[in-house]
Amino acid sequence: MALLGGLRIGAESGAFIFIAPPLVTLLLATLLMLLLVRGGLVRLHQWVGSDFPPLTNVAHIWIFITIFFASAQAFNSVLPERGLLHWMFSFFFLWTLWNNQFSSFDARRLLRSLTILFGTAFVLKHMLLASLYSPEGSWLKRVAGTLVQGVALGTFDAPPFAAVTGYIAFFTLALYVAGLILFAFAVNGETTMVVDQQLSAAEGPRALQD
Amino acid sequence: MKRGLQSKIIQLAGLGVTIAYTAFIVWLYATEPRTFKELTNSAEVAAGTYEINQEKFNSGLNLFRREQFRAARVEWQQADPAQRDARTQFYVAYSFYREGWGRLYFDQELFKQGVEAVNRAITLSSGTTLTIDDPDLQMHTAAELKAELEQGLERSWSDVNPLKALRTRK
Repeated sequence: MALLGGLRIGAESGAFIFIAPPLVTLLLATLLMLLLVRGGLVRLHQWVGSDFPPLTNVAHIWIFITIFFASAQAFNSVLPERGLLHWMFSFFFLWTLWNNQFSSFDARRLLRSLTILFGTAFVLKHMLLASLYSPEGSWLKRVAGTLVQGVALGTFDAPPFAAVTGYIAFFTLALYVAGLILFAFAVNGETTMVVDQQLSAAEGPRALQD
Repeated sequence: MKRGLQSKIIQLAGLGVTIAYTAFIVWLYATEPRTFKELTNSAEVAAGTYEINQEKFNSGLNLFRREQFRAARVEWQQADPAQRDARTQFYVAYSFYREGWGRLYFDQELFKQGVEAVNRAITLSSGTTLTIDDPDLQMHTAAELKAELEQGLERSWSDVNPLKALRTRK
């Protein structure tokens, strides 16, 4: 996930192009981590504490860091690389994540919302924009050309990548969302176990009283 | 007790694997290989097992001695694709010098590329003075070659001295 998020394949040369996550993706990942904590997908208070052994604390912090960088790379894979579109996409991501900070969320809703968010960005970047900037030309290019006749398309300049880049991005995002879903199951499982333990602890004395 | 130990081992192994994988990703983004071939070259360099293709190097040297500098550089590029061998980079820089040298003027673009190559050679020789024992060359150290290339890039009033036409190529 963290490896493939910044990987693009050059259109002509077929060479690997590694794009390190831009600064804005770190900001977006920070907002997303806050959402994950708020949505109960990441339970920091249950992960790190003085009651746990040091190794467990280190392992949990490491998982937290891993999710952070995986999120940054997920944003990296759906953000256009440069130009006005890069900033427009970044702005819409920021707007959405900032708004979500003030909404009520649970893990399931959050997962749905994130799937839609990344899915939309994927379709926009790797299908619509890729079609718009494909060297062969497409129907979308002709339509856009007619609509924005007279407007400098240079502002919306985007580097051409091979079609396989879209497949890599799809696989990356699928992996990321699947990871979060598995994570949600794991968290729910832990919660169920904790609740069961608490219930049985509470029921124990009651059974004795009976 | 046994279960606790097992879970500790799993945690440690998981941490070790993810840290190694993180290091691999960071290394990949830092070296930016463009092909699988470059990727294996970079891995060989990192592991310390990188070696140049001696046959290609010798072939480049023959071309260099026949003053076919561009062809020589193509051979050396194949001999040292990762540009990690100080000796090969020294010869690449020397080929830029000889090709760019002119009695009346120096080709600035070739000299600039020569400086880049000789800087690579100096960096790769890691602290020790890089000396090449080749009787066909008149400059045997990377420092001499670098100074000559840099002088060729400088502009001064002495450039208009007509006696400069009598200078010789090293």
